Amino acid sequence: MLVPADRPRMETRPLGETGHDSTVTTFGAIALNWLEQEGANQMVEAVLDAGVNHFDVAPTYGDAELKLGPKLRQHREEVFLGCKTGERDYDGARHKLERSLNRLGVDTIDLYQVHGLETRDELDQITSDGGALDAFREARDEGLVEHLGLTSHGDPDLIVDAIDRIDDLETVMFPLNPVVMAKDDAEHDYEAVVERANEENLGTLVIKAFARGPWPDTDELPEEDRPYANWYQPVDRPDEIRERFAFAASQDVTSVVNPGDPKLVSMVLDAAERFEGMDEAAQRSVLEGARHDDSPVPQQLHH
Amino acid sequence: MDVPETVRTALDDRPVEGSVCLEAGAGVGNTTAGLLEAGASRVYAVTNDHEHAETVRDRVGADDPGRVATIAADLRSTPLPDDSVDLVTAHGLFNVVSPADRPAVAAELTRVASPDAHLVVDDYDPLPDDAAMRDLFAVENAAAELASGDPALTFYPAEGLRRLFAGYGWAFDRERTLLEPVPWTESHVTAHADAARESAAAASPDSGLAGALTTEIDRITAEIGSESAGRMYSLAFRLDGAE
Repeated sequence: MLVPADRPRMETRPLGETGHDSTVTTFGAIALNWLEQEGANQMVEAVLDAGVNHFDVAPTYGDAELKLGPKLRQHREEVFLGCKTGERDYDGARHKLERSLNRLGVDTIDLYQVHGLETRDELDQITSDGGALDAFREARDEGLVEHLGLTSHGDPDLIVDAIDRIDDLETVMFPLNPVVMAKDDAEHDYEAVVERANEENLGTLVIKAFARGPWPDTDELPEEDRPYANWYQPVDRPDEIRERFAFAASQDVTSVVNPGDPKLVSMVLDAAERFEGMDEAAQRSVLEGARHDDSPVPQQLHH
Repeated sequence: MDVPETVRTALDDRPVEGSVCLEAGAGVGNTTAGLLEAGASRVYAVTNDHEHAETVRDRVGADDPGRVATIAADLRSTPLPDDSVDLVTAHGLFNVVSPADRPAVAAELTRVASPDAHLVVDDYDPLPDDAAMRDLFAVENAAAELASGDPALTFYPAEGLRRLFAGYGWAFDRERTLLEPVPWTESHVTAHADAARESAAAASPDSGLAGALTTEIDRITAEIGSESAGRMYSLAFRLDGAE
């Protein structure tokens, strides 16, 4: 790799009890979906050059798995690979796992995750006999996957329940950002997820760290005119990206996933390489800024 | 309602639980909400702004009418009896208290405080020289002085408020940094620009300064957008009569 000698080494943190130390940023390979193969190859090289050692992908990210494949196979030993499935029963999960292995062109996936858990019914389903987790565990016994994880944008208490009910869960992926953290209600209490996950020594992967808020109404801004591929409006200035990254990475979590749009990835890599922690007064400053941006009270003068 | 982290951080080492509290300068009720959350037995939310008093009643008082009394009163002279409050908070109050009014407010807060009362004073250090917000506050103050003779805002260094309250018998306990930098968001910038324009409009039309100030306000506002600069601090005191 062409890494200048003075390039800072990206911080790593233990990913729960998996035995892997993940970099503070995880490459969300959904970004590859919007690139041609050559651009996708270049992006993976740039991500690896920055020192990132944890990648995350899913079969639902267009053809991201296929585009990740070539460079992933070339650098397989350098990458801790996370993948996931939205299937909730044994057969569906087994099928999707085999399909992902095939599309990625690898023999094993390091972390296989329940994708996007939304409801208690789904939690019942994946944990029941013949549920998706049976397929996950069988695949682990066969050496096709190494570790089990779960991802969700759902209610924090649902994620906490899942942590309590799935004994061999090793990681959770969930949203965390100052806009969400400034709200005190249970619906936004992802800090409770961090706390519970840390009590259980799970790896914690943060998504939506760079979300500014929802897109304007489609009447005001048609979907095809949105400047970014994310389904939410991301922050997009280098200083904002650095601030959001440092804030998220300072919340006692393992790693922060980049936003999906490829245009934002290099700024996140830069923020992760420069990350040196954020003190509490500065964290409160970010929270206050977010609270005012989203305040129901107009013209609030003070903090 | 959501309690700001600044408020939680200012209160979390204070004996709020079971205390009778006075929030001096209740604003939109953020500190009142924080005091209730931390277990205050009663909160007097005092503000001289009737609109703010209404807002506090709607946002905070409605949920817990038994524990909150919203009072529209001048902080130099409140209807509260002597020695009636265990904990006084002034969160972001003093920047809107002019230097001339400071002693009267400090005296009144001291009068209502019980002999072993606690006091929390949270405010902003003067902004650094290179902060664009400093220019906006400067024109806001110039316009306000032109209109009314008083500045709109004064940022007292932590040390200044420490000395002020020492003079009224308050023993300094601790200082914390609540925010560094302070995020002046677009909504803050807009609110201060609007207040400055209003003052400029209220100034005598004979004064050539009002027009010039308005031009300057527009220019600075467009330039700032939003900015993070300065520091918000929290001072805690104990009334010396404790022993």
